[in-house]
Amino acid sequence: MSTLRELQHDLRAALLGAADEAATREIAADGLAPSARLAVYRHHVLTSLTAALETTFPVLVRLVDQRFFRYACDTYVRAEPPAGPCLFEYGATFADFLATFEPCRHLPYLADVARLEWAMNVALHAADATPLTTPAARALPSGTLETARLALHPSVTLLASPWPVDTLWRAHQPDGDGVVDLEAGAVHLQIWRLRDEVVLRALPPAGFAFRRGVARDGALPAAAAAAVDAEPGLDLAGLVREVLDDEVLVQC
Amino acid sequence: MAFQALTGTGIGLRSAHVDEMLATRPAIGWLEIHAENYMGGGPAPRALDRLRADYPISVHGVGLSLGSADGLEPDHLERLAGLVERLEPALVSEHLSWSIVGGTYLNHLLPLPYTDEALAIVSAHVARVQDRLRRRILVENPSGYLRLCHSTIPEAEFLAALVARTGCGLLCDVNNIHVTCVNLGGDPHEYLAALPAEAIGEIHLAGHAVNDADGQTILIDDHGSPVAEPVWRLYEHALACFGARPTLVEWDTDVPPLASLLGEAAQAARRLDAVAREEPDVHAA
Repeated sequence: MSTLRELQHDLRAALLGAADEAATREIAADGLAPSARLAVYRHHVLTSLTAALETTFPVLVRLVDQRFFRYACDTYVRAEPPAGPCLFEYGATFADFLATFEPCRHLPYLADVARLEWAMNVALHAADATPLTTPAARALPSGTLETARLALHPSVTLLASPWPVDTLWRAHQPDGDGVVDLEAGAVHLQIWRLRDEVVLRALPPAGFAFRRGVARDGALPAAAAAAVDAEPGLDLAGLVREVLDDEVLVQC
Repeated sequence: MAFQALTGTGIGLRSAHVDEMLATRPAIGWLEIHAENYMGGGPAPRALDRLRADYPISVHGVGLSLGSADGLEPDHLERLAGLVERLEPALVSEHLSWSIVGGTYLNHLLPLPYTDEALAIVSAHVARVQDRLRRRILVENPSGYLRLCHSTIPEAEFLAALVARTGCGLLCDVNNIHVTCVNLGGDPHEYLAALPAEAIGEIHLAGHAVNDADGQTILIDDHGSPVAEPVWRLYEHALACFGARPTLVEWDTDVPPLASLLGEAAQAARRLDAVAREEPDVHAA
């Protein structure tokens, strides 16, 4: 008789793979074949996790059609099942999986669309944190902002792509026209949660460099230097106002 | 509102219904949430905070994996403890099942062999959860589609033993009992009779699907349709056995309009009220 741990490992192998033998020996054959009973559980595991991915990646579903999406999910779920029970946290590696998934090699922008949808999912569920607002920043004593320890709000993702994935995303909304010029060029995107709404915004390279500087260095002077590198002669005060209006900074 | 007892009927709160619930505040006794849906930040927990002002909450976990031989995931227990501390729910419940092995979460309430080994493992985990949450939890009977060869203890007796060892309560899912007894053989009335009545803190009702597997009927607990007629009859029998108990109607797939779900809850309430009227002192969890 196997121990409970052995049994659970056998069942995992049977539910995620095709290797039923060890598990079926543990299942009573009363009326229905053990493999058919096991199939009920396997079907639920695979379809419920696929449904979770469909919720997180709705634009991908429309881009590749549902049948292909489910085919990709079947491979992904078996190879990279969730590590924990909060399903809104499942799918962080789906973009990397798609980037190397042979059947969609002819759609090179697909992985970045997945990264964009993942960023929106992160934005929706990220931990709450009080952003540094424009009035709060104005109320700080002079010079405080320049020396403060700063970070991006936990909901923020900065995404650079050689493909116009923001246009792709909008064109494949339920009311979108599906028309996209794939030659439109690279984009620099900020995805975050602003007062409970998930927002997608294209940034000029200097604005992107500034925010990435905050994420990397946690301080305004280094972020400003990165922005000026990207665009000499930049209106730095204007950029800081814009970043504060986006409410993407938090004070550490 | 901390730790108040629940009475009457509740519904499982689904994200599709949240806006309508906030706008109309329908008359329903309480709301049950899936713990794992509220472990992040953002608008969902904030909307729940607004509903919580008007409705008692029951926290129903699906991810603790009480039956994992690997042990409980400490991080997940901490997240549940944080949620329970924040929401101060009237009830906290989990399942007699497992879903985590070797760091993989299988997103299903998987069956345990009912053995002394499994009883020792589940009992230790229930005791640890109750210690951490500083409260009693209810443990729910799962839907069964297979029986493991080396089970030696009938499921209802296993649950009774768990109650005796840990002092936990039970969440009696009447639909699951019906599904399990049809799929694996067994008498649902005998099942109910083997449960310790005083430990039953809540009853669940839901719909199931009727499928065909290799020419044999198999019931699937998919929470995707109205409560079936045999399950209503079994519910009436359960109320006769246990007395009035807070009762939840669950509907998780193909979620209907809120009014349909409230209509199902009203059907449960009629049966529950008939029993409660006969009792001078209504039981609560």
